[in-house]
Amino acid sequence: MDIERAGGRGANQLRPIDCSRDVLSRAHGSASCSHGETRVLAAVFGPKAGTKKNENPEKACIEVIWKAKTGLIGKIEKEFEMILKRTLQNICLLTVHPNTTTSIVVQVVHDDGSLLPCAIHATCAALVDAGIPLKSLAVSLCCCLNESGQILLDPSKLEEQKMKAFVCLVFPSSVHSITPEESTPATTKSTEQEIITSLTHGIMAVDDYFHCVDQGRAAITLLSNILKKKMRSQSADNSSKAA
Amino acid sequence: MEQRLANSWRMTVNEKNFIQTALLSDLRTDGRGPFDYRNLTIQFGSEDGSSEVQLGQTRIMGFVTSQLVQPYRDRPNEGTLAIFTEFSPMADPSFEVGRPGESAVELGRIVDRGLRESRAIDTESLCVVAGKWVWSIRIDLHILDNGGNLVDAANIAALAALLTFRRPECTLGGEDGQEVIIHPPEVREPLALIVHHLPIAVTFAFIGNESRVIIDPSHFEEAVMGGKLTATLNTNGDICAIQKAGGEGVMQSVVMQCLRIASVKAADVTGKIKKAVESYKTIRDLKNIKRHPDSVDINNISKDMEKSKLELEKTIDSQTNDMEIESHSSKKDESSWRHSKHKAVIGRPSSWDPYTKVADADELKATLASRAVATPDLKTDVMSHEKQELNVLVDTLRDADPSPLLLVAAEAREEKNKAKTLLDAVKPKHKRKKKNLSNSNGS
Repeated sequence: MDIERAGGRGANQLRPIDCSRDVLSRAHGSASCSHGETRVLAAVFGPKAGTKKNENPEKACIEVIWKAKTGLIGKIEKEFEMILKRTLQNICLLTVHPNTTTSIVVQVVHDDGSLLPCAIHATCAALVDAGIPLKSLAVSLCCCLNESGQILLDPSKLEEQKMKAFVCLVFPSSVHSITPEESTPATTKSTEQEIITSLTHGIMAVDDYFHCVDQGRAAITLLSNILKKKMRSQSADNSSKAA
Repeated sequence: MEQRLANSWRMTVNEKNFIQTALLSDLRTDGRGPFDYRNLTIQFGSEDGSSEVQLGQTRIMGFVTSQLVQPYRDRPNEGTLAIFTEFSPMADPSFEVGRPGESAVELGRIVDRGLRESRAIDTESLCVVAGKWVWSIRIDLHILDNGGNLVDAANIAALAALLTFRRPECTLGGEDGQEVIIHPPEVREPLALIVHHLPIAVTFAFIGNESRVIIDPSHFEEAVMGGKLTATLNTNGDICAIQKAGGEGVMQSVVMQCLRIASVKAADVTGKIKKAVESYKTIRDLKNIKRHPDSVDINNISKDMEKSKLELEKTIDSQTNDMEIESHSSKKDESSWRHSKHKAVIGRPSSWDPYTKVADADELKATLASRAVATPDLKTDVMSHEKQELNVLVDTLRDADPSPLLLVAAEAREEKNKAKTLLDAVKPKHKRKKKNLSNSNGS
């Protein structure tokens, strides 16, 4: 049976995504991403001189600051910071600028479900805007599972609260397609088999989890194409930024 | 320590001299005159009480939230207002996380004094149970981009957010009548805050040895200025606050001149804020039409409407016909304009929504609501009454037609005046039907 979603979305339908770069003037790189009503603003400063105390000076250090809409910084914000930091450490080329710190500030403008994927897309776009060297981009998706075992993609806030469980997945997305040359199918396939981050809330059976991963991976190619198209259309009319 | 020095931005002597020399001939680096404001844009978020203000390059977001708390001991029948400023590190590389710096504290204090101590917001209306429960309003200001003159922009963001904020309605209930029941927005329409006046902050910078005065300094001008003066005024001509914390000394006459200029600018900015809030209100009212998620065929709906109308047609009163025809003709010319405006709004928020045309049926519903009240004057008590009638009407129609119908949260005054072509057929019957319903309902 089909669950009815608000606004008549199908189980596999994503909300409209919009991503724009260079929204702030002082930051070295900035981007704003929205998934339906969820909006996140990200800014990048870096690379700055020096690393923090306990960090490895042979590599670049990434620092994430997560700002919620209201309230003091609590455990939820710290958790998001840690997740984003570890995810970004995987996609950035850390050995290009050793002994430097790149700060990423994420501001939640509105949270209507799938906050982490929105934040990851905004952060990747901001990193691209700042010119930080990256191994690949990251594409992320949230899937939720309801009692009847049906998988819904890109849940809204109400759906997330009602569902039995939901999982947030982050996959790498090859940077080859951002330049005009086409990448060979072999390389794209191999990179997109990996999962960088997976975060679950609630209880789900192991089989359900793997179904979610498969569904997510199927939707990822479409999502990454949309994001790259958005970034590419902006890069055409962007002039270079002064530091 | 060395890292922080290496990462901080400092102005060069050449840039400083350039700005000062240019000011001698009344020129500013971005081409403005000395008393010109930068471009001000005010936008609103999807929730009530969230605003985004852009003043040139400066970007600030304001969020207003409310909570029921116990009042202060010495003010048992007044609500509280608190302002929190977040100097986000994304605004400026020199802003750091953690404890706010002195400029952050100063900004918070200026905005606070302008709003709270000048009694711009009516705190007594926020009291629910004296001595026990009052509403506490919290304003969070996030500085996203520091392009100079954060105080003015933050003030505007706070005002815009407060004007569009709606707090939930609450009533006293429970066994002893002391329990406070907060109604969710779907049940009862949330209320706006009572704002007596709008205090606008205007900042002046004093640059150079001759103390040239400029208004709305940009980021570069702020790095060069010798002193700063912020005057918070409203359009009634009251001075709510003046802040000049140190810096170069200026002559009295200069200060008086600044205040005169500030009152002119305050009127200007107030007009802009009010205009933005008004346009947001109309959009919000139109958006308030709730949609049922299930797929609804527009043709079916209109067909069903016709069906139920035909049933009622038999009980038409000729007098009611005449009355409605009169009132309808006056609104006919508005119909096409309203129709197009409504369509434009519906199409905007979600482009994937396949039910853009549902607007027709929405307007139909809304005008059904309007028909319940023959006179076009707008009173709040009438609104709730007609909402009741409309809900009952919707229920009966739903019984007639098994497919789910659209619900209307009829808060919008504008919808009352909308007239649709379909309405011609609807009017007479529904007038009658509502009469019957109200008779059975009103008991």
